[in-house]
Amino acid sequence: MTFRAKLFWVFSLAMVLSVGLVAAGVIVVTRRAFAGLNTAHSDALVAQFQREFGRRGQEVVDRVKAIAEDEGTTKMAIDLSRPQGDVSIYAYDARGVSQSHQLDVLDFVSADGSIISSAESPNHYNVKMDWVTQPEDWAARGYFLMRIDTESSGPELALLAVSTVRVGDKDLYVVGGQRLGKEFLASLVLPAGMRAFLYLNLDPAYQSLDLLDAKGPAPEADRLQSVVEGDLRQPSGPATRFLWTPDAASAEEFYSLPLTGRQGELLGILLVGNSQREAVLLERHIVYLALIVVGIGLLVGAILSWWAAARVTRPVTQLAQGAREVAAGNWSTHVNVRGGGEIRELAGAFNQMTQQLIEQRERLIQAERVAAWRELARRLAHELKNPLFPLQTTVENLQRAREQTPEQFDEVFRESTAILLSEIENLKAIVGRFSDFAKMPQPELAALNLNDTVRGVIKLFEAQFSAVGRPPITSELHLDEELPAIQADATLLNRAIENLVLNAMDAMPAGGVLMLRTSHKNGIVSLEVSDTGAGLTPEECERVFTPYYTTKQHGTGLGLAIVQSVISDHGGRITVESETGVGTSFHIDLPIQPPHRALVFPIVFEKKLEA
Amino acid sequence: MLIAVLPARSARRPHFGGTLRVDVGAAVNSLDSAVAASDPAEAAAEAQIESLLYDHSGGASSQSAPGAFRLSAWEPGKRVALAANEDYRGGRPFVDSIEIATARSPRDRLLDLELGKADVAEIPPDQTRRATDGGVRVSVSRPDELLALVFSAASAAAQDAAIRRSIASSMDRVSMVSVIFQKTGEPASSLLPQWSSGTAFLFSPPGESAGPQSSAAASPSTSASSMQEPQPQIASSPALVLGYDSADILEQSVAERIVVIARESGIAIAARPFPPSQQSSPAAAPIGFDGRLVRWTMPSPHPREALAGFLASFPDLAAAAQVLPAGLPASASPQDVYELQRKLLSDSRIIPLVWLPQVYGLSSRVRDWSAPAPGEGWPLADVWLAGDAQ
Repeated sequence: MTFRAKLFWVFSLAMVLSVGLVAAGVIVVTRRAFAGLNTAHSDALVAQFQREFGRRGQEVVDRVKAIAEDEGTTKMAIDLSRPQGDVSIYAYDARGVSQSHQLDVLDFVSADGSIISSAESPNHYNVKMDWVTQPEDWAARGYFLMRIDTESSGPELALLAVSTVRVGDKDLYVVGGQRLGKEFLASLVLPAGMRAFLYLNLDPAYQSLDLLDAKGPAPEADRLQSVVEGDLRQPSGPATRFLWTPDAASAEEFYSLPLTGRQGELLGILLVGNSQREAVLLERHIVYLALIVVGIGLLVGAILSWWAAARVTRPVTQLAQGAREVAAGNWSTHVNVRGGGEIRELAGAFNQMTQQLIEQRERLIQAERVAAWRELARRLAHELKNPLFPLQTTVENLQRAREQTPEQFDEVFRESTAILLSEIENLKAIVGRFSDFAKMPQPELAALNLNDTVRGVIKLFEAQFSAVGRPPITSELHLDEELPAIQADATLLNRAIENLVLNAMDAMPAGGVLMLRTSHKNGIVSLEVSDTGAGLTPEECERVFTPYYTTKQHGTGLGLAIVQSVISDHGGRITVESETGVGTSFHIDLPIQPPHRALVFPIVFEKKLEA
Repeated sequence: MLIAVLPARSARRPHFGGTLRVDVGAAVNSLDSAVAASDPAEAAAEAQIESLLYDHSGGASSQSAPGAFRLSAWEPGKRVALAANEDYRGGRPFVDSIEIATARSPRDRLLDLELGKADVAEIPPDQTRRATDGGVRVSVSRPDELLALVFSAASAAAQDAAIRRSIASSMDRVSMVSVIFQKTGEPASSLLPQWSSGTAFLFSPPGESAGPQSSAAASPSTSASSMQEPQPQIASSPALVLGYDSADILEQSVAERIVVIARESGIAIAARPFPPSQQSSPAAAPIGFDGRLVRWTMPSPHPREALAGFLASFPDLAAAAQVLPAGLPASASPQDVYELQRKLLSDSRIIPLVWLPQVYGLSSRVRDWSAPAPGEGWPLADVWLAGDAQ
């Protein structure tokens, strides 16, 4: 992955995380706001219910008190206080009184707890209502919730109040109230999206008919069973979220308000349903908008990230390109970076480094050149000094013979001139070799089988391998018979191999094994020339291809330099491996088809390490 | 029995003339004796009118003898007009004509009396107190109509005699008479009233007497009220269904009272009105009803004849008691009548509740009215109107 791609992904990831965190924060804040709004609405409705509950309760108290203070009730109490009071004449009075006072429930109860007249259950006369006669300050009690059972409507909840009329030592109880049912729910003013249910906890198990809405038994009663049962188990628990359909927009949150009786028994539950449709749709809309903004942001962010990454990495890319060019040998590479900052400093340092490299290389080349000239001068001096000394001696002998022994001068002259001619010839040979090295011809390529060349060279030197007076050298050929032909100059290549063989022979004065091996792989033909001589030191290996460098007593130091020059001119390369006391191995790689322009490969020194 | 004090009479001697205005509750849609009305009240009203048009006192041969009045006008379902028969063999009736307004509601009949628009009107028993409080003269007959709870022989749920006896023993008849019927009537525990058989007191359960009840005697129930403290729940699915005539307010009140009483005794009963198509045949409970409230009017003041009429009216009870509907011989003694009642009541398939009288409201000008005995028609031929001189 490129530096630009990495930067792009880093920028993009940072942007995604930032935008995601902001979007999540917006969603969380929005949800909390909606939840708070829901709670506020529900609390308001619960408060409204409690106010309405209290208002109605007080109405009931007032109306029951008014009935108790009515003249007819007083007359009834007086009649009933008599020993033979006739209760039957009042048996149906409660209904009329309840209607005139707008009460759903009204019972006149005698001092012994027997119902005298009942508006809601006319046939309950003489039935005991013992709880009324129990000691209690009914005036202080006010209103309370209670279960009632009527023949017509069955069990119901009613908001009741009790008032007493005392005549003599007997009390007449007036028990009145209003039903708590659909009418009560219908009187509640509900905000949009909210509704109220009243569950009458009148049966041991959940009964769908006991769940009322403003129109009567709620049609959704069966589906709300779990909600009601949960609230019955935990009346003041948290809101219950109910999904009418798999769609989240159908959710409705139910808040429950327990309705307890006089003794704290749970008689009913007010369920306040708050539709989440608007909130969910609005929240969904916000989420959609957030996603769109996030998408656009990410797209823009990606573009900006790519642009920023490109802007940031462009100098780095230029530096990398410059480094690659330097690595390829183009040391004169110069990186132009606009702007400022660390990258510019880096580019400046890079340019300074390349400049220093160039200067250092030139100094090195100059130094090597000077060293080469010195070596050449040394070699020339060494080479020329040997013939010059006999020349000087011979000329001095001639001068001495003419002065001291003129009679022998002729004979000395003949011998001296012969010596002089020989040494001059020797000097010419030396100069010729140097001239030949200086004038290495360009190879003339033609199809050539390297095995044939190797065999020809070995055949040429076979006689010398076993010459009388020197230890024998055994040659071993391991030639690849599938070796393809290569394009090469047969004369130059022949000369190079001869030099390698001569070099091997010189390395094995005590005899040994000369091994030549050919092979090919991936368009490269290889030749390995190995000897079992004394081997070279690592320092010698490093300099073995340097012109005029030799380790031999009478070498010119040009043999291996010529070999390397020939191989390089064919687009190949030569390496040397040597181990002291074991032998030396030269390895040549030649391309089957050399490039148009021969490349000089650096010499690779590989040293075998023992153990 | 005339229980209201008649106003001071300006003249004690009867005189002829005038139109007697009568209000009846039933509709009169047929005056053909061969076509019996399906509604018992309508049949009774038609029988009363027929007794004015025809004289049956001569036995079977006098079937077609003209009665004290002749039919002068008839609007089925609305009114019947009768005119005095000058040639009536019993002598011309005192009034010249009778205007009978039919299908009048109890409220309308009472209003007609109070406003002077009617001279004679049937009054429901529970309205007797109101009528007297309103200054209406009231004529109350001997109790001759039995209101009873009859269990259906076809009902599997009602086959348990123990349950039937429990229901019978829980009935507070005194309270029913005191409250529902406003003391007009008597608690009933036999198939014949005390005044007829003389043995009714032998059937009275402990704590109840056959005679008229006072409010002070009405013992309060010990059961809980409709407003209950948290207590064990009553069974929500009633085992027995009690049917009643939805057009009869008194039957409905009694049925609902029975439900209350039975529930307090631990017996679940539900009261439901008969379906409209089956309200006119309460002699046999429709399918789906385990029992029914019935009203039976004595056909005769004679106990043997009355009981024979009962057997004819309730053949299912007779069959259940293995008694032939016509199995009471003419020579049956009062002991036989008692034994037969005992047999019919032994398994509590019928639970007598209340004996009800016939209550009539009379205007102040009606003279010589006597409440009709069981089986007798209205004594309109003997009535004369004060202030209407010929």
